[in-house]
Amino acid sequence: MNDDDLWLDALLDDELDAPASLALQRRLAAEPALQQRLDERRALREAIRAQATRHAAPDELRANLMAMLPSRADAPASPPAARERGAARRRMALPWAAGIGGALVATLCTLAVVAPASLGWHRGAAIGDLQTAEASEAVSAHTRALLVDHPIEVASSDQHTVRPWLSARLNFVPPVTDFAPQGFPLVGARRDVLSGETAAALVYRHGAHVISVFARPVDPSAPRAAEATRVVRGFNVIERTQGGLAFCFVSDANPHELRTLADLVAPPAGG
Amino acid sequence: MQDDPGRFAASVLPHLDAAYNLARWLVRDAHDAQDVVQDALVRALRHFDGFRGGDPRPWLLAIVRNAAFAWLGARRTGEVDFADHEHELAAALALDAPPADPESLAIRRAERREIDAAIAALPIAFREALVLRELEELSYRDIARITDVPIGTVMSRLSRARHLLAVALRPEAARNLA
Repeated sequence: MNDDDLWLDALLDDELDAPASLALQRRLAAEPALQQRLDERRALREAIRAQATRHAAPDELRANLMAMLPSRADAPASPPAARERGAARRRMALPWAAGIGGALVATLCTLAVVAPASLGWHRGAAIGDLQTAEASEAVSAHTRALLVDHPIEVASSDQHTVRPWLSARLNFVPPVTDFAPQGFPLVGARRDVLSGETAAALVYRHGAHVISVFARPVDPSAPRAAEATRVVRGFNVIERTQGGLAFCFVSDANPHELRTLADLVAPPAGG
Repeated sequence: MQDDPGRFAASVLPHLDAAYNLARWLVRDAHDAQDVVQDALVRALRHFDGFRGGDPRPWLLAIVRNAAFAWLGARRTGEVDFADHEHELAAALALDAPPADPESLAIRRAERREIDAAIAALPIAFREALVLRELEELSYRDIARITDVPIGTVMSRLSRARHLLAVALRPEAARNLA
């Protein structure tokens, strides 16, 4: 048991951001013993997931719950038979879960999350589904950044520092402005990966909240909802397409505050 | 809206198995787990208007978890006082020498009952983190919210849980557990 295990576990759990994953990858390539530990951890994890019992709720409990409810007319009861003991069946229901154990590359690029969405897209799924997957990915990127405590690669509130840093590393430049006077100080920026493409991630603070602003160029001819607001795993997400860039604002700040920043960064067309 | 039993059922029913699974692993008894989930459902229904949307699963599991701990606490099982022992346990784990022989940690094709027994034997703080991560596939952040600890604590508990399991499932150790 040592600190390395924490990082190996976080890598297997897909909880590291791209820079932290890359740093760990480099160490893994150079240190066979570390790679060995990773393989052991993965074997253990696969054994647990394949074998440990996932207890299904007894029918009696399900019946009691239904009895608790004043009306049971349109409650979508999932039949107990659909529930498989053990994790094997659930893997099939969650296709990306199967990829986590094997493919490090998938872990790195968070392709694990994208894959089901892009498959769906090729089958002609609604744009909304695709964008829901993007929002989910943005939330994952945001939480990973919070987790590793290095949400930024260039730490500066000076837009004249952040903007050139991004423009040297990306083939597009998002608007970079410090909104400290409006209550949203710029903290810095980093690169991230969304939908398999490099995105700029600007980090703002608002009170105790950290707000990630992702921006990446989009094909103007591709159909996209101009604006969408959702709650993904407890985070508020605003997506907005503006000036050839797809913006995604993610935070646990309340939706009103998040929208205030969105309107500052990417003022709505005609507004 | 808070009077809408249909909405409550739609939010909670899909996660009933997850709720029962967590309770079952925490109290380690099928009958008691039913009582715990039932108690949790009553609380969940009562507080449903406090649920502001989003993913209902972590919300429900947090209620189940609290109900399980209340149940364990009322029965003075001693299990819930883990916070005091965590440092001692960490020290004990640190003393556990890393394996000199790589194969000694290699996980055999362990039997289901061996793995279940090894998980059931984990201290409760490690057990709940492991069950939420490996069986319910929740993110560190959700686990942190459900178990009411910082994410860093989730990370270290998970890592320790896995270390303990790896040790318990070594070929020579598994025989004693099964």
